[in-house]
Amino acid sequence: MAALAVAGIDAIVHGGDLIGPVTVIAALAAVLLLVGLVRRRTLAIPWSVLLTAAAYMIGREGSPVVDGGAAIVGVLLLLSAELASWSIENDARIEPEPRLVGWRAGVIGVLVACALVVNFLLLGAAAVSASTGLVVAAAGVVAAVAAVAIVLRLLRA
Amino acid sequence: MTRSATPKLAAYASLSAVGLLTALVFARPEVVALTAPFLLALAAGLALATPPRFTAEVILESTRALEGDELPAQVELEATTPVDRLDLYLRLPRGVQLADGLNPTELRLAAGERRTLELTLLASHWGGHVLGPVYLRVFDPLGFLSWESTVDARQELRVYPREDALRRVLSPRETQLSSGDEVSRQKGEGIEFADLRRFAAGDPVRRINWRASARRGELWVSESHPERNTDVILFVDAFAEARRGGEGTLDLAARATAAIADAYVGRRDRIGLISFGGILRWLAPGLGTGQLYRVVDALLDTQIVLSYYWKEIDVIPRRTLPPSALVIALSPLLDPRSVGALLDLRARGHDLAVVDVSPMPFTTRPAAGIDAIAYDIWALRRNALRHTLQRSGVAVAEWHAGSRLQPVLEEVRAFRRNARLARV
Repeated sequence: MAALAVAGIDAIVHGGDLIGPVTVIAALAAVLLLVGLVRRRTLAIPWSVLLTAAAYMIGREGSPVVDGGAAIVGVLLLLSAELASWSIENDARIEPEPRLVGWRAGVIGVLVACALVVNFLLLGAAAVSASTGLVVAAAGVVAAVAAVAIVLRLLRA
Repeated sequence: MTRSATPKLAAYASLSAVGLLTALVFARPEVVALTAPFLLALAAGLALATPPRFTAEVILESTRALEGDELPAQVELEATTPVDRLDLYLRLPRGVQLADGLNPTELRLAAGERRTLELTLLASHWGGHVLGPVYLRVFDPLGFLSWESTVDARQELRVYPREDALRRVLSPRETQLSSGDEVSRQKGEGIEFADLRRFAAGDPVRRINWRASARRGELWVSESHPERNTDVILFVDAFAEARRGGEGTLDLAARATAAIADAYVGRRDRIGLISFGGILRWLAPGLGTGQLYRVVDALLDTQIVLSYYWKEIDVIPRRTLPPSALVIALSPLLDPRSVGALLDLRARGHDLAVVDVSPMPFTTRPAAGIDAIAYDIWALRRNALRHTLQRSGVAVAEWHAGSRLQPVLEEVRAFRRNARLARV
């Protein structure tokens, strides 16, 4: 909830002229996630992430500069989604080993750190090669992610 | 193992697809930055998701326990591949509870790791129980895929009823020919003095009662009662029971049967069992501790099975019901078939005593109205039924849950003693 709230607040702060709709959408996303957590509905996670991302992009409407803060907002959205899905799938009847809890937290931490690095590289590359077009940048992201996946797969094997 | 995708996989895949398309449509690098973490998570999660390979085994240190005992159990796990998140649940049957340990639990196994989960189980209710199966669910590190499996590592556990220690049991009308602890009514070689009679040719000299002979001026000999054993048939009514919560009349009857069997085996008597109900079970009379275990094992399998079939005692094998055996019936007197069988046994001349395992503590009298009247009529009918049995010469005593069995047996003893005197 906190990660999503930070992302939502960032969207509201940079809302500019569209602060009204941005606030409404960010609040709706927060409420949706809260309801999802309380009622243990996994479906609420993507919708709340989507709404927060929409609020952020609406707030950036008309800005010609690539916002470096998008890297952090993207990672915050991932963090909120990961922690929310952990909360929803957590069953009080199943008692986990303490070291498993630490391991899961570590996995999420590593994932978030990697995502942050990838995002910074992505936005840096996008700023440098803006003229080459977004299709190439998106293809580059997919290729980078695929490369990471292959490395992980090989490490696992 | 059955593999399935979690809702998280669909959510992340949708977010990634929508984000990349939106980025292309609106030509905004920020959208790619918002989407890339989810795409990365998805790719990493699927790359790390490998089918888990491991074995699970349930080990019980003892397959027999007494009611109320705690017994250790282990779940042994051995993984050949990394098992990132394993949800494990060992199904415990009714009557066995977890006293200590984690069940269900969630854990992680490294490749080649062997782990033993220690559990302490409480055998809370008598019966034959089967532990297991073990339900397993494995997730990949990021929870996109799950593999579910059931390990049929079943273990049988026999929980014997914890019985009362009885100081005195019922004496039968007739004894058998083998020696035992019961003083026979007949006269013969024994310790217990029975009577005096005139000396007859062939009487051993050591039986001459010199004091009586001196007083009467002729030879008199002492007669004695021999110590014999008895045949006791435990008749458990399994047609119907009254039950509330985890306790019922059949549980009480089983505990009482075990206690009585234990007491008679200690006296070197032969015990047999007839479980008379929807399913007829019997055990011919036998001697010793082995027979006690056989009786208790047969008791564990006794259960109420709904049946409309009208059974009479003719269905009981003849050798299971020796004519001179004492039959102790444990019945809640709820089913007319069992009551009919008891009356039939008495009519055929069997020495019969009935412990009425009262269903009253397992029922609640309605506060008022027609239901309360119906309940009172039912209670009166039960009283009338007991009197019917008593008029037939059958000793009946009512046993309530929570009270001890010994006073009930004493009540039966008293009735049998008085009934005998009245007949004289």
